[in-house]
Amino acid sequence: MVDYLISIIIFLPITAGLLTYPISKASKRGARLFALAVALIELCLGLYAYSDILSKGTGAQYNFVEGPVAWIPGFKGIDYYVGIDGLSGPLVLISALLTVLVIVSSKDLISKNQGAYYSLALLFEGFMMGAYTSLNMVLFYVFWDIVLLPMFFLIGIWGGPRRKYAAIKFLLFTFAAGVFILLAFISIYILVPGNTFNIPELVGKIPLTLQPLLALLFFIGFGIKLPAVPFHSWLPDAQVEAPAPISVLLAGLFKTGSYGFIRFSLVLLPNASAEFGWAYIAFGIVTMFYGAIVAMRQKDIKKMIALTSISHMGFVLVGAFSGTVAGISGAIFEMFTHAASIGVMFMLSGYLYELRGTNDIAVIKGLKFTSPRFATLLVLGSMAAMGIPLFSSFLAEYLVILGAIQANLIYAVIVIIPVIIVAYLLWMIRRTIMTQPESTAKHHDIGTIPTLALMIYFIPLIATLVVPWLLLGMTDPLAEALVKMLPAR
Amino acid sequence: MDIPIILTGTLAGSALLLPALDIAIGTKTNRTFSAYFTSFVMAISLALVLLSATSVIPLSESAAPRLLQNDFMGLVFAIIVLSVSLMVSLSSIDYMRDEPNTSIYYSLLLFTSLGMILLSFAADLLMVFVAWELMGIPTFILVGYRKKDPNSNEAAVKFFLLGALSTGVLLYGISILFGLTGSTNLATVAAELSTLDASMMPMLAFGVILAIAGLGLKLSIVPFHMWIPDAYEGAPTTVSTLLSAGTKKAGFVAAIRILAVAFPLLKLDLTMALAVIALATMTLGNLAALTQKSMTRLLAYSSIAQAGYMMIGLAVLPSNLGLTGLLYHSFNHALMQGVAFLAAAMISSRFSKASLEPYEGLSRSMPLTSFSLTIALLGLAGMPPLSGFWSKFILFTAAVDGNLTWLAFAGLLNSALSLGYYGLIVKRMYVDEPSSTQKVHEPVGFALLLLAASMVVIITGIYPAPIYDLTQKAVLAFAP
Repeated sequence: MVDYLISIIIFLPITAGLLTYPISKASKRGARLFALAVALIELCLGLYAYSDILSKGTGAQYNFVEGPVAWIPGFKGIDYYVGIDGLSGPLVLISALLTVLVIVSSKDLISKNQGAYYSLALLFEGFMMGAYTSLNMVLFYVFWDIVLLPMFFLIGIWGGPRRKYAAIKFLLFTFAAGVFILLAFISIYILVPGNTFNIPELVGKIPLTLQPLLALLFFIGFGIKLPAVPFHSWLPDAQVEAPAPISVLLAGLFKTGSYGFIRFSLVLLPNASAEFGWAYIAFGIVTMFYGAIVAMRQKDIKKMIALTSISHMGFVLVGAFSGTVAGISGAIFEMFTHAASIGVMFMLSGYLYELRGTNDIAVIKGLKFTSPRFATLLVLGSMAAMGIPLFSSFLAEYLVILGAIQANLIYAVIVIIPVIIVAYLLWMIRRTIMTQPESTAKHHDIGTIPTLALMIYFIPLIATLVVPWLLLGMTDPLAEALVKMLPAR
Repeated sequence: MDIPIILTGTLAGSALLLPALDIAIGTKTNRTFSAYFTSFVMAISLALVLLSATSVIPLSESAAPRLLQNDFMGLVFAIIVLSVSLMVSLSSIDYMRDEPNTSIYYSLLLFTSLGMILLSFAADLLMVFVAWELMGIPTFILVGYRKKDPNSNEAAVKFFLLGALSTGVLLYGISILFGLTGSTNLATVAAELSTLDASMMPMLAFGVILAIAGLGLKLSIVPFHMWIPDAYEGAPTTVSTLLSAGTKKAGFVAAIRILAVAFPLLKLDLTMALAVIALATMTLGNLAALTQKSMTRLLAYSSIAQAGYMMIGLAVLPSNLGLTGLLYHSFNHALMQGVAFLAAAMISSRFSKASLEPYEGLSRSMPLTSFSLTIALLGLAGMPPLSGFWSKFILFTAAVDGNLTWLAFAGLLNSALSLGYYGLIVKRMYVDEPSSTQKVHEPVGFALLLLAASMVVIITGIYPAPIYDLTQKAVLAFAP
């Protein structure tokens, strides 16, 4: 079974997703429990893969490799080829965890057409797993494009008032991103000797003259997905209009942008990445500041979180292209902690809407008195998003900043970002939690199971702060290998 | 087995016999006799072709080798046109139920299929011309089939005038090629051309361009596309399906066979010209489709855009990869465009309007049709892993390989652009609320036909190897 571990991780949720809809015709509860069971199995598989790689310390290489098996035998280079390394391992694990939590919480937050909902959520998970583990560029492209469909329907059918606009905008932006990526892939296939789409065979083979142009194509494509300013405008719309559990999936699982920057720009184009590292970092810094400053002005909690999320993505960009072990490790670390911390914040915003019927910061008052459990969780979630040392988001940001400073002292300017984020989140907490409630407000809090489910988000954040090796043991070997590949500057 | 000759006998025989048979036994017992008879003939023919293509029945030399060439290239296109014809005749059972003289309709359908089959296998310029006419003339009548409907009349007249013009142009091109080489057989023409005097080159270019321009009318490439939206909108939609998914592909096989002969001689000039035509065709088709308010017109422009992608295959012509992509995309496009047009036909006939309004919330009242249409539209947009993605992917790869990276980039951008209108239709069906509470009945047979075809789109997308291998085999056997 271990031989086919990754195939099972990819195709179990896809098959189950296709089955969930027919099951829901018989019993809605059955469909939900089925989806939950599948997600739990998936989490066990993810944990197994992760712990195996971690214990062996083989994060720098591909593990559980399957293939290459020719997909179209007549067309050389299109193979089924999958594997997990220190970059995809943490993403697979956190995706599997978030899917379980999303399915648990959807019980309270989603009532319409549940069969199709759980079906699409599982399909989304399976396609994401496929994108993270593909070692063939065409296979990767197939997964990264097909994943848009479940998300399009999830936003479009279950979303908020402007869901139609948000869904089609999401679809067009992210599909357009694929155009640039696919052109880059095809160019690599034709212009690099060997005619292959397999990433491991291409490492170090791409001619220097070709790299800058490919880097530009990758930058636009992955920049739209990340999203980096100025390609970001689809994300706040999509995340605000999506129902809360789907926002979690969107923020937590949908990391193909940051994943692509490391897997393709950094691994395949080391020379261009070193040469133009400053440009990537500049865009990363702009993205961070933009996200944080615009978030400051938001009146809607969900929008504030969405923009914080964009700001965090800037950290990934800066860390990945700092060219240092700390920076690259920190970037992957940031992707991991971001999924958990922004995930819990989005989920909380969904429960807040259930409790108060609004996400408007100015209207919500006195959560401390009416919903103490919720208020506690919101404070903890905000602390995670701020990067306060109780949670490992602190460690991730610290590593990125450290890597950036090692690269160039000017980049130290990003130290300001956590300060801005702390400022507006504290302001939000003061307005919504620390005030007196309206006199008519009744005690109204979230139930025990949602509370427990929300607490689970904090477990990976605390665990990786107490024992950073749990994550760094995975990412450091990879980061060291990557730094060795980069030309000395 | 000698497929072209056998199919000629089967199709021509049944086309001639059908009206008589219908009078003798059909009308008394069952109004849909002709429909079932035609579908049966098409299914048998398709089965024969498929068996030959999979080498269950060995191919044999054609009985008239200088006229018809029994090769894999012909077989691939025979599969395409017969699948489309079968889909059209099956869907006409429901769509044409209330029309008069259905036996004539189906007889013309059989004649058109015969023309397309002959065109697929033609090895002689005169055969190309005869098959072209055999395919064209029945479609003029089919487009004007609703003789009391002014739109249908206008469409037929427009189509006929342009069709006559294009025939003349094609014939002129053929006559120049004959004048240069003294033969109409394509193999002889190719042999003669290779020893052609350099001073005759402009003449050759002129002849080939005239021939392509003549074919261009059916290929629906810019600047010969103007009749398309009107004709597709005026004609019964099943006939539009036949035109867009069927006769266009037959036009492409003729273009391949003619271009392959002369191409090695005038490579440079033609590459650029064809690349520019490809770019103009896809861009114009997609831009115009974005603004359409009627589904038939939208699909008509989308069909023009898709012809642009296929032109990439001609532009890079000596490349086998490009030709494989062209064949592959012909197959996929025929299937997807067929599903899209037929779904549109059913929806517009149920709601009695062709606008985009009935599509709002359609997934609730017509779930199977909406699903099939969604698959077809996403496939046309090139969403992986549907089969449309692979053929576009191969075409774009061929373009990069042929030093036409800008064309590949334009094609990719066009794919993203096309999702603008395909995606909006999907959004209307699944995301929007129904605007009217009108109850509609989804005809099960028709919906299952669409579902079956869309399943083929999905399955050949996930497992593309068999079709890719078949098209590659056709190209390698043909290789100019």
